[in-house]
Amino acid sequence: MSEAREVEIKTRNLGVTFQDNEGNDVAALTGVNLEIMKGEFIALLGPSGCGKTTLLRSIADLQKPTEGDVHIQGMTPKEVRLQKKFGFVFQQPVLFDWRTVKKNVELPMEIMGYSKGERSDRADEMLEMVGLKDFAKHYPKQLSGGMQQRANIARAFGLDPDILLMDEPFSALDEFTKEKLHEDLLRIWRATNKTILFVTHNIQEGVFLSDRVCVLSPHPGRLSAIVDIDLQRPRSLEVKETAHFNELVAKVRGSFEGGSVS
Amino acid sequence: MEYEVKLKKVGRKKTLRQRIKENKSWQNLSTFIWPLVFGLIMIGLWQKEVLHSWFHTDTFTLPLLNKIGGIMGDIHEKLLENTISTVQVAFWGLLIGSLLGYLIAVFVAIFPKVGKGGLSVIGAFASVPVVAMAPVFNNWTKDVSTDAGFRSMVSKIIVVTLICAADMGLNAYRGLTEIKPYSEDLMAIYAAPKRVTLWKLRLPNSVPYVFTALKVSVPASIMTAIVSEYFAEYITGVGRQIRENIVLAQYSTAWAYIATACLIGVVAYIILMVLQSICLKRYH
Repeated sequence: MSEAREVEIKTRNLGVTFQDNEGNDVAALTGVNLEIMKGEFIALLGPSGCGKTTLLRSIADLQKPTEGDVHIQGMTPKEVRLQKKFGFVFQQPVLFDWRTVKKNVELPMEIMGYSKGERSDRADEMLEMVGLKDFAKHYPKQLSGGMQQRANIARAFGLDPDILLMDEPFSALDEFTKEKLHEDLLRIWRATNKTILFVTHNIQEGVFLSDRVCVLSPHPGRLSAIVDIDLQRPRSLEVKETAHFNELVAKVRGSFEGGSVS
Repeated sequence: MEYEVKLKKVGRKKTLRQRIKENKSWQNLSTFIWPLVFGLIMIGLWQKEVLHSWFHTDTFTLPLLNKIGGIMGDIHEKLLENTISTVQVAFWGLLIGSLLGYLIAVFVAIFPKVGKGGLSVIGAFASVPVVAMAPVFNNWTKDVSTDAGFRSMVSKIIVVTLICAADMGLNAYRGLTEIKPYSEDLMAIYAAPKRVTLWKLRLPNSVPYVFTALKVSVPASIMTAIVSEYFAEYITGVGRQIRENIVLAQYSTAWAYIATACLIGVVAYIILMVLQSICLKRYH
């Protein structure tokens, strides 16, 4: 597990300050120093308002940091974004209603200028991977929430990005669907060896999925602890029944500063 | 066991009325049965002169339906000629106006700082009454052509164009800018250039809004064409004939043209609904 791997993402003293309606500065995130290895699965865990989404958006170049910087493969986030090395799964499945599921998955490839045949083949492959092969010709509104989120994941994997950023992708789903998608995600991750940053406010979810849980605390948003998750891979749902899993959950819960989480 | 018996009884209690109400095909049918029944009652009241007594009028001012129908048969060639004239004005005004309105909306969506004011100006234009606009454009187009019929036509089309452009501009702008949360972030993640975002996200998103606009501007284009005919230099069109015949106190003929105007409106709306059901199929 702990072989020497290269650093993929490095943040140095990263901070983001917003201005509220009255013009006061509000620190969403301060002094984040984080090193993420290539192929690592990182959970960013914390309560609402701890800046975990802000951290993810700063890495993705959707948000400009007000202090410090981010380096990804030795480049700035903007350079990495322009090279289309990110995949992003948003909180809501951002599928376009007027496109079939397959056409939605093809969208990033269209933007990249892939040929028609290439797009189609790749989209089929991705839909097969997330188990939506039979729904390729459906429109998003004909799918359940869980299926829509799977289509969303298929689209994010379509361009074969180096880095996958996931912002509470399963928070709106029921427990059964969520567990199914957890297993799917781990399977896909193992097969593709991406670097994944996964934002969540659910401790069990973070512990079950990741190699390391980065605990963020609010007011101001900051990185308060990093917990190594040394559960064996591949993991199945049964691992949640083990004493060690519960120890790790307790350890993560104990590492929050100022404010508890569910 | 007892529960089962009770449940069965409750199940039976569904009255015939409820069952009819919940029937899907009845629901579909009733959407046009009720208007039909209402229409038939109105025809009956009209034909039996009940309406005349309610509104203190006579069969000279409000001719009976069979008489209006008879006249429509007698002058059908003239009706057709005037219908074509009116439909031409409405159609070209609708087409040019909608295209213009859409292009303005795209411009404003791309350059919001420059364009926002322009959209308000158009909105203001549309609130100027047609009766005020029509004479202005009559005057304005008097040098367009030596053919009075043609320059009259141009003047009328301009009025319809302005009305339709405002409606389309305001609706299409909403369609181009009111997009699902995170869609813009999604395009940013893939470093999509502005024109790609426009083409793949904003334009398709605006299609249902285009139909919202057309549902207003199709009837409005016909109404505007009719009203602007009143003030046109050249005597043609369904609207103008309504006026000419009322002036001459030929109410039955006037009513024949009024009925024709209604028919044009209904047919245009049906065409629009068919187009919509085809174009919005994939939008669910």
